[in-house]
Amino acid sequence: MKGLLKGLGVTFKSMTAKKVTTSYPDVPFVMPDRFRGIQHFEPDKCIVCNQCARVCPTECITLTGKANPDPEKKGKVIDTYDINFEICILCDLCTEVCPTEAIVMTNNFELASYSRDELFKDREWLDNNNRNVRQDNNNIGAPAAAKGGAK
Amino acid sequence: MSEERDKTAGMPSSGDTVGTAGEAPKETAGTVEGKEQSGQEQASANAEPAAPAAPSSAEASAAPVVDPEREAKLKAAAEAREARAAAKAKAESEAVPEEPKAPSPKQPILDAAVGLIRTEVAEDAVEEAYINELNGHMPVIVVKGDRWSEVAALMKNHAALGCNYLRNVTGVDCETHMEAVYHLVSLESKQDYAIKIKTDREAPSVASATPIWATANWNEREIYDLLGINFPGHPDMRRIMMPDDWVGHPLRKDYEPLDPEV
Amino acid sequence: MIRTEELLLNVGPQHPSTHGVFRIIVKLDGEVITEAIPVMGYLHRGTEKLAEDLNFTQIIPYTDRMDYVSAMTNNYVLCHAVETMMGLEIPERAEFMRLIVMELQRVASHLVWWGTYLLDIGAMSPFLYAFRDREMIIDFFNELCGARLTYNYMRVGGVKWDAPEGWLDKVRDFVPYMEKKLDEYNNLVSGNEIFLARIKGIGQYDAQTAIDYGLSGANLRCTGVDWDLRRAEPYSLYNRFEFDVPLGKTGDCYDRYLIRLEETRQSLRILKQALEQIPSSGEVMGKVPRVIRPPAGEVYVRIESPRGEIGCHIISKGKAEPYRLKFRRPSFVNLQILPKLLVGETMTNLITILGGIDIVVGEVDA
Repeated sequence: MKGLLKGLGVTFKSMTAKKVTTSYPDVPFVMPDRFRGIQHFEPDKCIVCNQCARVCPTECITLTGKANPDPEKKGKVIDTYDINFEICILCDLCTEVCPTEAIVMTNNFELASYSRDELFKDREWLDNNNRNVRQDNNNIGAPAAAKGGAK
Repeated sequence: MSEERDKTAGMPSSGDTVGTAGEAPKETAGTVEGKEQSGQEQASANAEPAAPAAPSSAEASAAPVVDPEREAKLKAAAEAREARAAAKAKAESEAVPEEPKAPSPKQPILDAAVGLIRTEVAEDAVEEAYINELNGHMPVIVVKGDRWSEVAALMKNHAALGCNYLRNVTGVDCETHMEAVYHLVSLESKQDYAIKIKTDREAPSVASATPIWATANWNEREIYDLLGINFPGHPDMRRIMMPDDWVGHPLRKDYEPLDPEV
Repeated sequence: MIRTEELLLNVGPQHPSTHGVFRIIVKLDGEVITEAIPVMGYLHRGTEKLAEDLNFTQIIPYTDRMDYVSAMTNNYVLCHAVETMMGLEIPERAEFMRLIVMELQRVASHLVWWGTYLLDIGAMSPFLYAFRDREMIIDFFNELCGARLTYNYMRVGGVKWDAPEGWLDKVRDFVPYMEKKLDEYNNLVSGNEIFLARIKGIGQYDAQTAIDYGLSGANLRCTGVDWDLRRAEPYSLYNRFEFDVPLGKTGDCYDRYLIRLEETRQSLRILKQALEQIPSSGEVMGKVPRVIRPPAGEVYVRIESPRGEIGCHIISKGKAEPYRLKFRRPSFVNLQILPKLLVGETMTNLITILGGIDIVVGEVDA
């Protein structure tokens, strides 16, 4: 009997303790800055080095580039950039190797959709996904003084 | 770049005998070669650095940026690398005759174990025995297939060896043959051993260690399932991970799935 | 005339108490089990085969998903294996961060085990208490590396990020809070007569059986065998800290229960010491070549995960991808004793014994 009563004591004590339940989705969930949510892509910064596609463990990034339309500048410009969110595991390796921080994670995690077609995010969508962009990227691929050259 | 690699690969072998499994001085040159500039980028799946000087790249998608500045830098880096590799090759070939490697501290333990096996089981039971230096100098003994059950019983029951705990059984598909690696440890003396048994590829079979260590039961079933090595003497040899009616052994190097989508 | 027959029952892959998709085919005679055949493979994702095409940094997210309740230890075993092969030096702050994170993970994992075990047995509230405290730990990890469950935090040569501002202080405040909570949990459950009646004497085995079956972790220590890899084969910085290794006596479920709670307390003790000793600044990533190519050879390293001995056997041919990567998963090996323990037990005790072994099916199947 004694053990049961001790247990009940704990139960009653925690009845008066502070509640920790949050009322999501009425109250939006604020994720810490480093949270790995869906990516945000800035086409202007991309130099088509292909590192993100190469490092992706599930090979969900496909990209094509075209020659820079401006005849003065050398290099390539991004043409299409697709991430297949059926298999993206949000592991963050693509942002880690990007030398220009063209692809970064945001803190958005609400990705549910009613059809699988919406899970193929293209360049447009990723460019427009610029709410809650992550600040602290710890981008090992782009040390502070990088001028954008691929390693 | 490719001639670069050949040069490092073609360095005179430092006379490694069967003595060590871990030494590969050529490889350190290979890792240095991968770095063009300092900075720790994460590895990409391809061993080649991101911008081979030649624009021919095997990938369908875009080749990376090439401009004259980078070309010059790459050339300079390549030359520096060649110089370094050549210097290293010279140093290697000069250094080797001078100092033979110091014997490993675990060598006596290995010799004692090998001696015991040779006397108690059979003279020819041990095919090879070496120290795996990479792995904290673990003694590795390669045992002949048909002597394995007796060697296993000896490893467990003999007072000096007393390996009562079988840690791990791994099956390996080396392309020419198959291997089963048993990792043993003695809980009292904390001495660990790795025992390898080689078997051929057409009808691979290794005597089961289940009668001696019960741990081996499911481990061997998993190896049978994924690699196809048969373990005669196992009480319950059937598939464990894959569905019971699966055809083929998935972990083999030459496994072609019937249905590539799966 | 009344006739009795043997009943073949599927404790099916979908079951709230089998801790994942795991199936046991039980032959019942009334309520007594005469034979139990575990069937697994429902969660087999082919990690080992996939790993042969990926380089080591890409395999790290896959290791997270094997034992998803204790992902940091999985990350560590892979990174430790590659670092042992390459002989890399890890900066001290990185090693401290790894250790702190692994011990926090141990606390979180044991909380999950405790909550779900008691839920299986029938107690509803410990589950929520455990998850409330685990949420705090998960929030720490969220702030540290951006994910709540699959961290992808460790890298070969160090860790990915340093602790953000104020993180270490928050963990410092968490430790005494958790210790108080552990006392509360003991009060809540460990003396409860109903609980004791359900757990004492169930699933008992002796030390020789445990060693034969290759059990590890709390399953081995409940029989009195003093084998904790943090003590016996120290890795990382564990030889700098003082902690006790709780041992059991009888080898039944109750001993395993007490040992795991005591291990949580000892983890908090290690955490306290580590948080004091961590160097206040330093690199978090060592000098690592850009392409991680271990020399040809093989290595087998093992660490103590909350479930037991997790090992990683890598055979490398000198390329950036492993030639063969095998994980020795503790849940897989610990589960072998289940058929033996279940013979002669009743159905209710099946759940008790299965929960007491503490398996995670993601690890059983790899």
